[in-house]
Amino acid sequence: MLVIQNLYKQFGSLVAVNEFNLRVKTGETVVLMGPSGCGKSTAIRTINRLVEPDRGSIMLNESNILAMDPDELRQARKRIGFVFQHFNLIGRLSALENVMLGLVMSGVKRENAESRAMESLRKVGLDNHLDHKPDQLSGGQQQRVGIARALAYEPELMLWDEPTASLDPILVREVLVVMEELARYRSSTMLVVTHELPFALRVADRIVLMDNGRIVEEGKPSQVFVSPVSDIGKKYKELIEYQMNTSAQSLSGKL
Amino acid sequence: MAAVLAKTRKTFVRTFFSNSFNRDILILLIVSIIIGSSLANLIAMSANTYFSETISSLVGDYGEFDLLVNVREEMKQNGQAQIEKVIEQVFPGGKIKEGPTLNGLTSFLVGLPAQNKTKQTYESIDSIFGSVPGRSGISIMTEPRVTLKAVPEGAKNTIIEQIMQIDGVLFAFRDGGSVTVIIQSISKSASVNAEIEKLLSQYHTIDIAFPVGSEPENSMRLGEQIANAMREEKAVGYAESVSVDSKSSDMVYLVSSMIELKRFLTAFATKATITPAAGVTFMLGDTIAFQGTAASELVSGVPLDSANVLVKVTMVKSGGSAEGMVIQGDGTQAANGQGHAVINNVIGNLVGTAVFHNPRTQLGNALKETSSLVLQIPKIAQDAQNMTGVANNALNSYSGSITAVEETLSSLAKAETTIEAATSGLAKLDTSAIQLQLTNSSRAMGSLVSTLQIIRLLNPEVSSSINELTATQQNLVTLQNTLSAVDNVAADARRARAAIDGIVANGNSMVTNLRTFDVNGARQTLNETGNGIAQLQQFNTPLIAAQLQYLGAAVPNLKDEEISRSANLMDQFIAGQVIPSQRIQILTKNNITTDFAGPIIYRVVGHNNVSLYTSAVGIIEPDPRAEVMTILMQVKAILAGMVSLIAVMIFLTLDHTAIMTVIRRKRAVNQAPRAKGVRRVVQGVKNSFTAPECIYGMGVGALLLTAMFVLSGGGIPNLPWIGVPFLGAVMGLLLANNAEKISPIAIDELTAGESLGLSFDEVMREIVIPSGRPGLLQTMNRRKMKFK
Repeated sequence: MLVIQNLYKQFGSLVAVNEFNLRVKTGETVVLMGPSGCGKSTAIRTINRLVEPDRGSIMLNESNILAMDPDELRQARKRIGFVFQHFNLIGRLSALENVMLGLVMSGVKRENAESRAMESLRKVGLDNHLDHKPDQLSGGQQQRVGIARALAYEPELMLWDEPTASLDPILVREVLVVMEELARYRSSTMLVVTHELPFALRVADRIVLMDNGRIVEEGKPSQVFVSPVSDIGKKYKELIEYQMNTSAQSLSGKL
Repeated sequence: MAAVLAKTRKTFVRTFFSNSFNRDILILLIVSIIIGSSLANLIAMSANTYFSETISSLVGDYGEFDLLVNVREEMKQNGQAQIEKVIEQVFPGGKIKEGPTLNGLTSFLVGLPAQNKTKQTYESIDSIFGSVPGRSGISIMTEPRVTLKAVPEGAKNTIIEQIMQIDGVLFAFRDGGSVTVIIQSISKSASVNAEIEKLLSQYHTIDIAFPVGSEPENSMRLGEQIANAMREEKAVGYAESVSVDSKSSDMVYLVSSMIELKRFLTAFATKATITPAAGVTFMLGDTIAFQGTAASELVSGVPLDSANVLVKVTMVKSGGSAEGMVIQGDGTQAANGQGHAVINNVIGNLVGTAVFHNPRTQLGNALKETSSLVLQIPKIAQDAQNMTGVANNALNSYSGSITAVEETLSSLAKAETTIEAATSGLAKLDTSAIQLQLTNSSRAMGSLVSTLQIIRLLNPEVSSSINELTATQQNLVTLQNTLSAVDNVAADARRARAAIDGIVANGNSMVTNLRTFDVNGARQTLNETGNGIAQLQQFNTPLIAAQLQYLGAAVPNLKDEEISRSANLMDQFIAGQVIPSQRIQILTKNNITTDFAGPIIYRVVGHNNVSLYTSAVGIIEPDPRAEVMTILMQVKAILAGMVSLIAVMIFLTLDHTAIMTVIRRKRAVNQAPRAKGVRRVVQGVKNSFTAPECIYGMGVGALLLTAMFVLSGGGIPNLPWIGVPFLGAVMGLLLANNAEKISPIAIDELTAGESLGLSFDEVMREIVIPSGRPGLLQTMNRRKMKFK
């Protein structure tokens, strides 16, 4: 279980995350949404301390992340998978090596690491691209390598920082398919930052809406998007309605 | 406290070295320094060796030889043999090498043993090698050395003593007109040069120059007086007279000679003494015309004729008369003495009458007369010698004559007795015997008078005796006449007796006086005189006369105009300068200005018609070879420095910019959003100096450059040592601020590594370094990488 309390992060005079409180149950998939710049990425990055919060508390399965020393933090990070918006693959390494890197560096024997990496890549459908360097892969494939890299640790918590934001719509799908499968068939806890409304509606156990660094609304997707209470929620509702209407109209027109 | 510090240090060391990447950085720095300094040394030494060998092939290795003895080519073998002999006898262990032969002179390079490189040796080097046949010069070339020129003679000892105190100076000595300083090693050459310059700059000389006509009688003594006065009255810490008479330079000799020549010539120039006409006042520099050899007399308003004689007024006397010097024509041709003013080369009114004195003519005449006189000396001497003989004879008869006078006086006394008897019986008186005796007496006196007249030549005191004798003789004659009359006039008898009484009395007195005359002394004097005359006769009077005639002929055969113009020309050369030998030099501290010392100098000198100026105590004459070697060393240092700079730049660029980029990126993650306006600029400037990557860059740059400079002996002109780490820091700072452009590390990869739980050194080793610039760090890192 992930419990975040009173998380606060300020950059200069800008308050990026303000009294952020969130509780994610084990196996739960929580989608964090909100307008750009509202503090979603900062909040999710503070969880594995890629960004150091100013104050607050982050408890992952009884472990206080913020109280850890560097060695403990490194060990904790191996329990937390992180998928980046820009894939963040190591350019000089192949897809397999990218996935193996963390395992090998954490002391897993190379053979074991390789087999685990291959298994991860197979799960994301890239077992035929083991030796491909990132620049030889499409964006969706690169992101799938990134997902495989995060999965290779078999993490307790998966953090997704807008994994499809850098992809074109066609490539988005292949990534979302993987994400959905992971969400449905794995028991790991997932906290996802995304703007993909359909994904959120289909996969999220809970939607959390943020604005100006604060959580302004949270609940099940049907609750948040059907009966929103916050301005942001209402805007999302309008957006859903708009997309549905325009899609329907477009489809009827074409037909 | 110490325990805490020790613990902290131990903790830091353990923490630092537990990180393998930190160890790598440390090793990288050490390897970088070794490679950089080795490379710098190699390049610098290669260049230095090449240039040094080029020079050594010409004149031997630096410091190999100490003396350069030039011997005339035709005496080469004998000279070499003698030099070798001197070396064997005086400088055992020394060596000789024949150098090139140029312009008929063969050079021999002589190396002295170390124990012979002493002040005493160098100061007597001329005499030691004085026996070398055909020697045309000897130069000291011991290196490294410094030569000081233009050090005042009197200041040399002071300067030498102080130079000897400078660290790095082996010794200093007088080398002809210079001071030569032998330095212990070339490495100390620059510092010794600097110290000597500093020393010389502490002093200067105040030069007191006396114009012509204002020269002191004894410049040396006056200099000492001025120095004493400056020390005592002006509280000048140091003042010493270093004046040297006529020992300055060849130019001094020349100028002194010209001044003397001018004085000599002008002494023979015709002097005109001009009495002004009524209402005329002369001024210095006035030109006055005289007719000279011109056909017509001077007429006012007529242009000057080249045949006219012109006189320039050189002195105006208080009475209004003037003295002048002939500047055109000759004084002997002045014709009449009527002088007219000259205005714009046109004759003006009559201004005075001149009398010309031509020293040349006067001297010529005097010499001519003297010559004639000298030629007559032998005859005069002979005459004098003859006179001496006559005088001697007179002296010889002197005593006899006095005795004769005494006898006469005695006879007179008897005659008186007879007269007395006759007085009573005048009729029976026989006067014939008296007559006879009177006649004899008169003759004797006449003879004595003649003798005394000769003696008078030697002793004027006998004049009175002569007069008395003459008077007595006259009286005897009178008496004789009287006695003749006595025969007839008995009445005269009494008068005659009285006369005799007077004669006897006077005669006795006279004889007493005559007896006091030192005949022997007079004779001795006369003999000495005779000897002197004899010596005079020994003179080679014809030769003297010939010399006098030669002198007469040597009187300048110049016209006044020629003398005048020559003197003017010499004046132009001397240009109103001072007589060099009449220059006083006071050595003092350089803060004593002429303004400060001027008043006391004027007072001691007695006037202010002097020029005061300051001049340097000495000039360092560069030793060409030492300069070249110094330059070579500088070139070596600069090369080493430049290579070090390049190496540091390369190492920083290839190895450290990646690290700086990582530091910068990690800082940026938690960096506050950029401010706006002035605050943004201030923040940017502040970050440019204080950001961690900048501090890292400055530290590494300073460390690398300083270490490489030290190990390679690098140097940059005008850059003090403290500037080296500063320069390295600046380089590091520049690169730190441009690190991302040089080594654009992908922050995404870095973040990915961190998110995977990689440690910092693992991130650096597996992600950052391999994707950075290929350099030493990457090479070293490769062996530790798990994903190669």
